[in-house]
Amino acid sequence: MSSSLHPIEQKILAALAPVGSMSFEALVAGTSLNEDQVRRALQWLSSKALVSITETVQSRLEVVRRPPELELFRKVTESSRLLTVEDLKEEFASAEEFSAAFGRARSAGWIKVEGEAMPAVWVVDPKGPENLNSLLESVSAGKGEGDLTAEQAALMQDLLKRGVLRRVESRSTSVAITEEGRASAGVSGTADLIERLTPEVLASGGWKGKTLRPIDVEAKAPRFYPGRRHPVRDFIREVRETYISMGFTELQGDSVQPAFWNFDALFIPQDHPGRDMQDTFYLEGLSDRRLKRSAVVANVAAVHESGWKTGSRGWRYVWDIEEARRLVLRTHNTVLSVRSLSEEGERERRVFAVSKVYRNESLDYKHLAEFYQMDGIMVGKGLNVRHLMGFLVEFYKRLGMSEVKLWPTYFPYTEPSLEVVGYSKAIKGWIELSGSGVFRPEVTWPLGVRVPVLAWGPGIERLMLMRYGLDDMRALYGADLEWLRSRVELASSQD
Amino acid sequence: MPVVRIDLKRFSKMVGADRRTILERLPYVGLDIESVDKDSVRVEYSPNRPDFGTDYGIARSLRGLLGKATGLRNFPTSPSGATVSVDRRLSAVRPYIACAMVGGLDLDEEDIRQIISLQEDLHNGLGRKRRVVAIGLHDADAVDPPFSYRGVGSSFKFMRLGGEGPQTVGSILSDTAEGRAYGGILARRALYPVIVDSKGVVLSLPPVINGNATRVTKKTKRMFIDVTGTDGKACDDVLAVIATTLAEAGGKLGTVTIRYPGKPKVTPDLSPLELPLDEGLVRSVLGLELTKAEMVRYLARSGLGVRGRKVLGPRYRVDLLHPVDIAEEVALGYGIDRIGPIYPPSKEPGRLDRFEEYLDSASTVMAGSGMIELMTFELTDEGTLYSKFQRPAAARIAVQNPKSSEHSLLRDALIPSMMSSLSGNVKSDYPQRVFEIGRVYRREGDGVSESWHLGCLVAHSQSSFTEAKMHLESTCRIISGKEAEAAEARHWMFAPGRCASVTFGGNGIGFVGELGPEAIDAFGLGVPVSGFEIDLSSLFELLK
Repeated sequence: MSSSLHPIEQKILAALAPVGSMSFEALVAGTSLNEDQVRRALQWLSSKALVSITETVQSRLEVVRRPPELELFRKVTESSRLLTVEDLKEEFASAEEFSAAFGRARSAGWIKVEGEAMPAVWVVDPKGPENLNSLLESVSAGKGEGDLTAEQAALMQDLLKRGVLRRVESRSTSVAITEEGRASAGVSGTADLIERLTPEVLASGGWKGKTLRPIDVEAKAPRFYPGRRHPVRDFIREVRETYISMGFTELQGDSVQPAFWNFDALFIPQDHPGRDMQDTFYLEGLSDRRLKRSAVVANVAAVHESGWKTGSRGWRYVWDIEEARRLVLRTHNTVLSVRSLSEEGERERRVFAVSKVYRNESLDYKHLAEFYQMDGIMVGKGLNVRHLMGFLVEFYKRLGMSEVKLWPTYFPYTEPSLEVVGYSKAIKGWIELSGSGVFRPEVTWPLGVRVPVLAWGPGIERLMLMRYGLDDMRALYGADLEWLRSRVELASSQD
Repeated sequence: MPVVRIDLKRFSKMVGADRRTILERLPYVGLDIESVDKDSVRVEYSPNRPDFGTDYGIARSLRGLLGKATGLRNFPTSPSGATVSVDRRLSAVRPYIACAMVGGLDLDEEDIRQIISLQEDLHNGLGRKRRVVAIGLHDADAVDPPFSYRGVGSSFKFMRLGGEGPQTVGSILSDTAEGRAYGGILARRALYPVIVDSKGVVLSLPPVINGNATRVTKKTKRMFIDVTGTDGKACDDVLAVIATTLAEAGGKLGTVTIRYPGKPKVTPDLSPLELPLDEGLVRSVLGLELTKAEMVRYLARSGLGVRGRKVLGPRYRVDLLHPVDIAEEVALGYGIDRIGPIYPPSKEPGRLDRFEEYLDSASTVMAGSGMIELMTFELTDEGTLYSKFQRPAAARIAVQNPKSSEHSLLRDALIPSMMSSLSGNVKSDYPQRVFEIGRVYRREGDGVSESWHLGCLVAHSQSSFTEAKMHLESTCRIISGKEAEAAEARHWMFAPGRCASVTFGGNGIGFVGELGPEAIDAFGLGVPVSGFEIDLSSLFELLK
């Protein structure tokens, strides 16, 4: 029988069995359950006739305030001198309160007023307030209406009317265990229950022939926050795995770069508006003194000035090495790609880097001063725009963006240049995902590379916003613990 | 990037295509649609195509791509008879000037709006904020050639555009918005360039402001254009863009003779520019087996002509630098969306970088220890990095002109930004256990060295040195398989007496400790905080 009872029911029966009956409150306190659990379990137990529930309504009296005539009488009796009516009036907060108190005390015959020129207040009956006081004491002590004398009962009616006393009703629930209940409680079986397994119990074998006391397995456990990796790190991991699945080798490099690698080597003219402090973080008072007029530097200078031997017109201005020595926080990771070209030349390969880039921006929902890019290049004879397109379509497909288009665009360092846009169901439109292109001869030739180099530089934040259903890039790096602790893991799976 | 507003009704007539076709094809000219409404579309264009600065220029390109008007467009000119004599002293101030006379104009308000917007974009783009090139547009009927481009002193007086009477150059430079914005280009020279007509009427004080007499209005039938600057080629480029745009608007182009002290020059020179047609390069870049005839056809759609082995382009195509640019023009004429993508399978397996993998595994270890990973910004502010820790900012690495002071200094440690993160989370449940793996910077002579740190903070009412050290030791053990050693030390991050240095075989890699009450209070936290910060780059080297 007891096995069909819920652990909470068993807990309640166990608490009731030794005493027979308990109030609802005592039951809650005695079982460490919450009120809802007890209430629910009592319904079940009562419907199985294992307990009987009695509800009683009790009425008791309560003192709302002390009658003012008592205060007045106290002042008169405790005063060390004779008080005039005016003296007494000043002791009260309002004239109304005083006249009510004074009227009652006088008509009850406790006090009188005498004197012609200066009427004073005299005590007539020092024991006058006794009846009233004893009634109030009885009420405060919790005596019921039935315990009052006839005289007090009359006085009580008057005080109820005056609002000095009031009646308060309270309901109480008393629960009694029935015979069946007592049988089900397994009172005689408590010796066969184990409260908690302990090493001692396990070692002694004392558990043999006993069962664990059932517990409330439905109650909420305390809140716990597991440790978690940052969602951006997880997304970067996914990108890196996507890249290696496509045969790419990972690169890394410094954030601080001479302008030479960030701009000049990419055929970005020295007076290009993108090189302004408006957009680029230059480091104050620092420069790369190690940058010398090496062969590569001389080639880059020549390509800017006149196109060198690439067949280009060049930008036609006087190139300045000092400008190229300024240190910048890289504005794009293409800088890592060109450095790789400079170091490894024409060797056929695929390389990528996922790392931060920096722009002098004011932060808003779609601009950050630091964000991630996942750049890559493919180097090899015979590569062309169609391979670039094929790579980009496949790459985004693997990252969960199946609908992408390629539009022409412009970058100083690629030709042709393509922009990758992806369809966003959320905004019902195309959003920019990546710039891409084939490196210009003006970029590759000065580094000694004559084979085609396909390049692209996608951001990761927009993809992440789409995945997490966010509309503000700042949310990703806002260090909001609530979000970092509670973000749903499955949201990082593909749409 | 500059933006052009296109009135769709007007544009539809110019192109001879409907709204849907226009909106679908604009991206294939290389324009980004910024916004669309019922009557208009706003497109962003790249400054390398200054000819896209008006709806006329965009329509010209779109007509080509849609096959409605293909081939090289000619822009005939005839001599206007006007001359500009150049003061030799200006060679040290603003040496170059190029001019054109445009007749037969019948401009409406939208035409004028488009041209003014083009002028502004040219000023900001090729003109480099008027420093390299500035443009003046004038009602030619208000002045009498010949003109002179000469230098004057700061007391020279004329009535500027929008002025109320004659005013000295000095006053224009110091008392007007344009003077303050652009006067600096001419600063520290006693000589100021002006363009004056035969009767002494001032057309312009380049690059600052025009005179009042030559204001362009809807009634302007003939326009005189002056382009001045410090780079002769850039002046010619800009003039070509404006003159050809006005020709699209129905203008008849007239040349002007510029009488330099040496030999005279006739402007504008709109003869086509030439680049070799490298068929092999086109085929190999695009991966399309096109015949020369096909190339010629697609180039015609891009508004280019072919003569023998040369491609001829209109003078305003200043973006065509190299034969590879011709490949892109072929691609545009062919249709980017018709080019079939090919995914080249990889021949070699990919490989992750060992150091990046090490950083990634450190993150996994920390998360496994019950820590939440933070990613904060590498650029932070003086308060977070220095003053809240009461340490001198002597070795600070600052960026120039940051847009926000919150991102003005490169961090040399992670814990300051992490403390700042905790102070933004005081309402979240404690205990708070966080870590970050990030790049930090150190000044080294004229340069900067970079390394990767691991920072960890534990904040709750019972947080202690022991808890921090427990995490430090377990993390180091798991990452390296070796024991870290601790020695009593002092460090600005931690409280004296509650700080130890962390070493590996005698090499210092970081510190562990309790944060001092001053720092905890400065960050507005109400619970004890302990933590550690170690240099993962150094540890990686030690483990090699």
